[in-house]
Amino acid sequence: MTSSRRYTFRRVWPSLAGPGTSGFSAAIIAGICAGASGAVAQDAAPAPGFATAAQVDNFDAPSLEPPAAPGLNFYGTPGLMDTPSAEMLPDGHFATTFSWFGGQSRYNLTFQALPWLSASFRYNGIRNLNLFGFNTYYDRGFDVRFRLLRERRYLPELTMGLQDFAGTGVYAAEYLVATKRIETPPLRFGGAAGRSPGQLKVSAGLGWGRLGSYGAVGNIGGKRPSFVGGGTGGNLSYDQWFRGDFAPFAGIEWQANERWSVKAEYSSDAYVTETRISNVFERKSQVNYGLEYQWSKTTRIGAYYMYGSELGITAQFQLKPRHPIIATQVPAPAPIVPRSQWATKEEHWSQDWTESEYKRTRFRDLVAEGLKPHGLILEAIDLKGTEAEVRFRNPRYRSYAIAVGRVARTMALTLPPSIETFRIIPVRSGMGLSTTVIRRSDLEELEFSPEASDGLMAVAAVTGAGPLPETAIFSEELYPAFTRSISPYAAPAYFDPARPFRLDVGVDFAAGYSPAPGWRIAGTIRQRAWGNVQDGRASNSVLPHVRTDQSFYAQYGTTLENLYVDRSWQPRRNVYARLRAGLFESMYGGLSGEVLWKPVSSPLALGVEANYVIQRDYDQRLSFRDYKTFTGHASAYLELGESYQAQVDVGRYLAGDYGGTFSLFREFENGFKVGGFFTLTNVSAADFGEGSFDKGFYFRIPLGWLLGKETRNAYGLTIRPIQRDGGQRVGGVGGLYGDVRTAHRRSLRAQRARFWK
Amino acid sequence: MIMTQLTRPPRVLAGILSAVLVLAACSGGPQDAPLEVEIMQVVGQQVKQRLKRQPERPPVTRALLDSLDETYIEVTIEDDGQRAYLQPQLVKQDSTPGQVTVWLTEDAVTLAMRNGVLTATRGLRNDMLSASALVHEGGSVMGPAGGATGARRYEFAALDNRSQVFTLACTVSDLGTETIEIIELTYQTRHLQERCESGPGGESGVVVNDYWIDSRSGQLWQSRQWAGPTTGYLRIRQLTL
Repeated sequence: MTSSRRYTFRRVWPSLAGPGTSGFSAAIIAGICAGASGAVAQDAAPAPGFATAAQVDNFDAPSLEPPAAPGLNFYGTPGLMDTPSAEMLPDGHFATTFSWFGGQSRYNLTFQALPWLSASFRYNGIRNLNLFGFNTYYDRGFDVRFRLLRERRYLPELTMGLQDFAGTGVYAAEYLVATKRIETPPLRFGGAAGRSPGQLKVSAGLGWGRLGSYGAVGNIGGKRPSFVGGGTGGNLSYDQWFRGDFAPFAGIEWQANERWSVKAEYSSDAYVTETRISNVFERKSQVNYGLEYQWSKTTRIGAYYMYGSELGITAQFQLKPRHPIIATQVPAPAPIVPRSQWATKEEHWSQDWTESEYKRTRFRDLVAEGLKPHGLILEAIDLKGTEAEVRFRNPRYRSYAIAVGRVARTMALTLPPSIETFRIIPVRSGMGLSTTVIRRSDLEELEFSPEASDGLMAVAAVTGAGPLPETAIFSEELYPAFTRSISPYAAPAYFDPARPFRLDVGVDFAAGYSPAPGWRIAGTIRQRAWGNVQDGRASNSVLPHVRTDQSFYAQYGTTLENLYVDRSWQPRRNVYARLRAGLFESMYGGLSGEVLWKPVSSPLALGVEANYVIQRDYDQRLSFRDYKTFTGHASAYLELGESYQAQVDVGRYLAGDYGGTFSLFREFENGFKVGGFFTLTNVSAADFGEGSFDKGFYFRIPLGWLLGKETRNAYGLTIRPIQRDGGQRVGGVGGLYGDVRTAHRRSLRAQRARFWK
Repeated sequence: MIMTQLTRPPRVLAGILSAVLVLAACSGGPQDAPLEVEIMQVVGQQVKQRLKRQPERPPVTRALLDSLDETYIEVTIEDDGQRAYLQPQLVKQDSTPGQVTVWLTEDAVTLAMRNGVLTATRGLRNDMLSASALVHEGGSVMGPAGGATGARRYEFAALDNRSQVFTLACTVSDLGTETIEIIELTYQTRHLQERCESGPGGESGVVVNDYWIDSRSGQLWQSRQWAGPTTGYLRIRQLTL
């Protein structure tokens, strides 16, 4: 086996018996395996007789692999070491990098938001800078890069970048850079199969700011305002951009094969603050060298010799939202058996069964049992002579398309032949989200058609979910229902200058009770096992301390995280509503209401959320502090296409400030989500404090994407460069839009390929 | 010989691990399980699977096969040698030419074949969702039609809950008669080879499927067919009818 096979996915035929196969298992076990418990052998000897003259292997076949991504520099963007190249990552890639040299560490996140636009966030530490009152200086910064010209046959790619363009700007630089790629012959060494050709990449550019600090060849606009650490920051430093001295830089990278590449650059960064004003490292040369190795599909590591005196390293992790780490594997469903094969007599097709309550209950139970192996839960069923409506809960599948497909298959295998029309309604918190209407004969005809997915979507209809029919029979297993869980939790706190990362970990004990559809009473007790958030700095905010007393709340180890009564319902078609009373989150409790209008096929949704909240006591039991306020927002949500979504919320925030939040997200069909937001309110920059206004970014990585398993869970994280009190909202409420959207027409259509899976 | 490519952690470790799992994370009731609980479950399953010893399997002989009443095919994934024995689950006819047979493994993987030509997989990673096939009308003569040319459209589950379609231009050529042996029985077959290449603008690549069809009965005895970029080629043999 060549080592480049490590690029292919692991192939496993699961040896766990799946649903509905026990009969076959028994036959196979009894017959073939003669008492052995698995029918999968891993006998490596090939079956004889398959050799042919023109045999080709899977390497020659079309591939699902994404295009190779360029190596990243110390700032986390495509490039050499300290200088950038003009290359862009493939669209949608999400890269995290760590780099270190000479006591300077940089943690970078880069998201390729559009094919020609990328954005980065960086957290860096400079050890022994001994300036601005800090021994180790920590700072945060944002970069943005625009591709101005695509690479052509003779023309290079051209990119403009703004590095650390807002805030205090320790790494502030602007540049224009061009890169030309030349193909080189494939080389087979160092663990590479040598199937793909190498590349020689030559880059050259002009830099301002930091990248104009060595070997300047000109000047625009006189002296550039210099970097001053410890300021408020948060504002765009547009008065600096492309101002002052500019200097040329250049680099060359030879990507010898799919594993190895060597890099060399001439850097135009003189490291003035680090080497002249302070003494972080000694700079002896402007030429840097590096060697990089592609460890796996996602991981790349590098070692470098920097500025003639220092060793450096990088670790680069490239996550491709559209390409999961492990592709999901779902047990095969039983094929649909056409009614023509089993309902062969006239009386099979009679509708007499509708008269019998016993028979209708029996069919309900058959459907409920049929859904269980798929991890789906029957909520209610309505049976008429030729039509059946199934309402179900989906706790397993991220994609509603696959859930609807499994329900359709179950109905086709269990319901009486006279039923021709299936109405399939996913339900969440007692609310019907959408109706997929399918003809049973289409299911029977199209399952193995060459274009099964498109064919079915053409004949199926997706409409809004109507009210529950009066004749519907509920599942007997659901109401009242208890739920409970014990699970570990982790609560991080970021960017304290004394300690950039703090963490509390412990165990959550959660329980819920649903007495009737749409009603839920739930609570969580939290027990901390270990943590250091309690050592965080005290707030210096001049606003009401609505969020910055985190360390006071962290003094207590056993807390009531939440406890509430919740009611969700649909007042009318296309309208969803929720009321919640109790303790919403660790800091707030009160009364909250939300109404959302979202027609099943509309890209636009409108919502209103109103909350009366009281701040909870630091001990997070049942008592409250004196701070009470009204907070609420009117929201508009718009699907922009290409998986982009925009959201605007206007209203009153927790500190009593008025303003609006603007968010732009890219949410992939598998739930992978990356985006950013900022909030402007009537709080002045001085009153707000460090950062001037609230902003941050968000990402969510679905668990199924990481593990190759069907699950609705995801790991989500909102990161704010700084947590202050302006522009803050109450947590643990709202969220109707996220619950509803993914079961609507656009998602079902986009994911139609999953219907038959 | 049974080969496992997985390293085996000591059993003590697994014991402790499962105890921690039981103590640290669990959930019940008709709701979504918490994130941490699901991660623990997956880790637990992985550990269990790694510890599970692959059973020794007696060699498959014609005598053993003759003692069975059921129909079996043997399928081997070429790239890693994993092998399974499948039984038919459903035979049906739809409005597309050919007859569909769905074959099932013990562990919930199915392969759907139209006149023996692989057109769908379920239960694998990046499943072949559907495919067209260059087959005869009816189900009596199996395999692709000799001398046929035309497009084969493959649709694979891929990307972010979407699919990837490859449309390939295919030609079926007759490579003459060959004698093949399947577990102590020999068959006189015609060897048909279907060579598919992507057209201009499409994903580049070549797929070659081979079929060995009984010269007299038209029964497909053996084939080597592409199941997609992730699974690669399958070697399929008809063991019993």
